[in-house]
Amino acid sequence: MGDSDEERFVIPFMADGGAVTCRFTTGESAVLADLAQQLIDLLSERAPDAAGSVLYAQLGIGGESSGPLDPALARLLPDAYRGDVEAASEHRQLTEQSLVERKMANARAVIASLDTAILERTEVRLEPTEVQSWLRTLTDLRLALAARLQIEDDGDNGIGDDEALMVYDWLGYLQGSLIEVIE
Amino acid sequence: MVGVAQLVERWLVEPDVAGSSPVVHPNLNSHVGEVWVVDSMASTATVAQPDVDRREQLVADVPWVTIVWNDPVNLQSYVAYIFRTYFGFSRAEAERRMLLVHNEGRAVVASGAREQMERHVEAMHDFGLWATLTRSDS
Repeated sequence: MGDSDEERFVIPFMADGGAVTCRFTTGESAVLADLAQQLIDLLSERAPDAAGSVLYAQLGIGGESSGPLDPALARLLPDAYRGDVEAASEHRQLTEQSLVERKMANARAVIASLDTAILERTEVRLEPTEVQSWLRTLTDLRLALAARLQIEDDGDNGIGDDEALMVYDWLGYLQGSLIEVIE
Repeated sequence: MVGVAQLVERWLVEPDVAGSSPVVHPNLNSHVGEVWVVDSMASTATVAQPDVDRREQLVADVPWVTIVWNDPVNLQSYVAYIFRTYFGFSRAEAERRMLLVHNEGRAVVASGAREQMERHVEAMHDFGLWATLTRSDS
């Protein structure tokens, strides 16, 4: 994660008027943008274009009828009904594509915030709507990583991939800090 | 083209307005006299819901619940934040339901009409929480 001289935990988010700010190192910013892009790539498997019909997507129909086999995607896009395959399938067909699109848009918003900060050589500054995107994307990233790490119980470290676990904990720290400052 | 709101207003006063055709929503017909006003000039049908609150209240005769399930990933502070800001619970109540999820593995966070619970579940999936809906008697 970044160069050794800048390897540190991020300074937490801070309130600044109605906005929230956070100063990332170049390395931290790059890691986060890369993860957000990976999330977009992962989700794109279930995006309307991949399903083959833009028209159907616009009409809110034609989505996938069964859940993703990839455990990370399955956790990001869970069934709305438990123990009722038919209802879950019907609901998924109607709602999954828009859910995927919102999740991708949130991840893009995170990348945009990071890009703006780099371009303007300032700290990351989040307005309330951007805070919502960040909260959701940080969550989605942790859900995807937890699935990869096979974390299944509270306090579980999964398969013990130290690097992935460090990123996972770092994202949790970031999110905890963000919630603390908006609460 | 006539604005949708105007079209609805005119139809409510005078059912035979040219160019509009009221269609009763098939699923809700027995509950309320909700109408779909279709603007034939528009490329897509426009739905008018003159009395959404009343519709939800009546459909709510069949009770459904939204359940949030425990997962090892989401932070307790995040779950409490969602319960407070999305469902409008007080801090204490949001905390109580969050702890129910944490300790009991699940908590009911809303009840009402099926469509409304589906919207809640979708919103929870948006936040990354694991949520489902079910009939309250099941």
